[in-house]
Amino acid sequence: MAKKNNAPLTPAVLHILLALSTGERHGYGIMKQVEADSQGKVKMGPGTLYGSMGRMMEAGLIRESEKRVDPQMDDERRIYYKLTGAGRAALEAELKRYRGVVAVAEGRLAYGQ
Amino acid sequence: MGSDFGRRRYQACYAVLLRLYPRPFRERFGEAMAQTFRDLCREHGDTGQRLFGFALWIFSETFVGIVRENITCMSHLAKTMLRAALVSLGLIMVPLIASRVVDGWNWSAGAFVRVYLLFFVTAMLYAAIARKMGAPAYKAAVCLALVAGFALGWSTMVQTADSGHPERLWYLSVLVVGLVGACLARLKAPGLALTLFAMAAVLALISVLLPSGGPSGMALRMAIGHGVFVALFTASGLLFRHASLAGLR
Repeated sequence: MAKKNNAPLTPAVLHILLALSTGERHGYGIMKQVEADSQGKVKMGPGTLYGSMGRMMEAGLIRESEKRVDPQMDDERRIYYKLTGAGRAALEAELKRYRGVVAVAEGRLAYGQ
Repeated sequence: MGSDFGRRRYQACYAVLLRLYPRPFRERFGEAMAQTFRDLCREHGDTGQRLFGFALWIFSETFVGIVRENITCMSHLAKTMLRAALVSLGLIMVPLIASRVVDGWNWSAGAFVRVYLLFFVTAMLYAAIARKMGAPAYKAAVCLALVAGFALGWSTMVQTADSGHPERLWYLSVLVVGLVGACLARLKAPGLALTLFAMAAVLALISVLLPSGGPSGMALRMAIGHGVFVALFTASGLLFRHASLAGLR
């Protein structure tokens, strides 16, 4: 089930899609990437992260990839998550919507000056 | 050393907290969440800061998630029950209308209630199991088991009402075996395979032990009917077994 309508994505979903847009990551990796992408302004806890990921998996935006060891961390095996085609399309649609909003906002601001 | 002990204590508390999530969510993400919490604790410990404030934030944030997921789960259950009740209502209208039209179809109110419950339980079972459906063999096995179970329950109700032999309700024990087995197996294919084989065995046993109470022609028809049900339950069990073996590969 992909995104049914063109309703805006929630900030958490957008950040998770962005974090996964460059490759597969495990839960902690997604958190760190979200933090880095937002220059430390967004700190996502496990409750928000996995709750959002559950809904995203049901919507077909992301899926589990495989369980493997992260070479940069310890020897624990972790579940990795990856974007689906529908997830990438949803991200692109959302970024397009953002560009539209920014264009309108810049036009209004220029008109006001 | 002390901080290591504190970290382990928080991790144990977090594992307990995770148990408050609805089971499907916990089975899907519980392990990953515990692992992420361990990673966060380690990262926080490396900075040399106290863990209490950090753990309090994570626990509160997770608790909000627990409330949200439980509400979602409950609303899903309520919706499923409503759908099952409406579908059952639609199905019970068939015999209800037929009893007004067909001569000699005179079920009591109690019979209608029992058949309605049969529809409802079957619909709820399908809804519960449908969420686990993945392999085609599992899907086929579920459909076969539910159709055979429903047909057995239905024919038992009808024959008991028509013949006035309450001892025929013993056939419902086959369905009880199925329900208990499905719960014990937690809808996993290997356990369901055993459950279906047990149902077939119990049905065969009852067929042998319980006299038909009718003329020989009717006894033969009943024996053939029982044979068909035993074959259906066995086939369903074999499909579950196939699904479990496919899962192992």
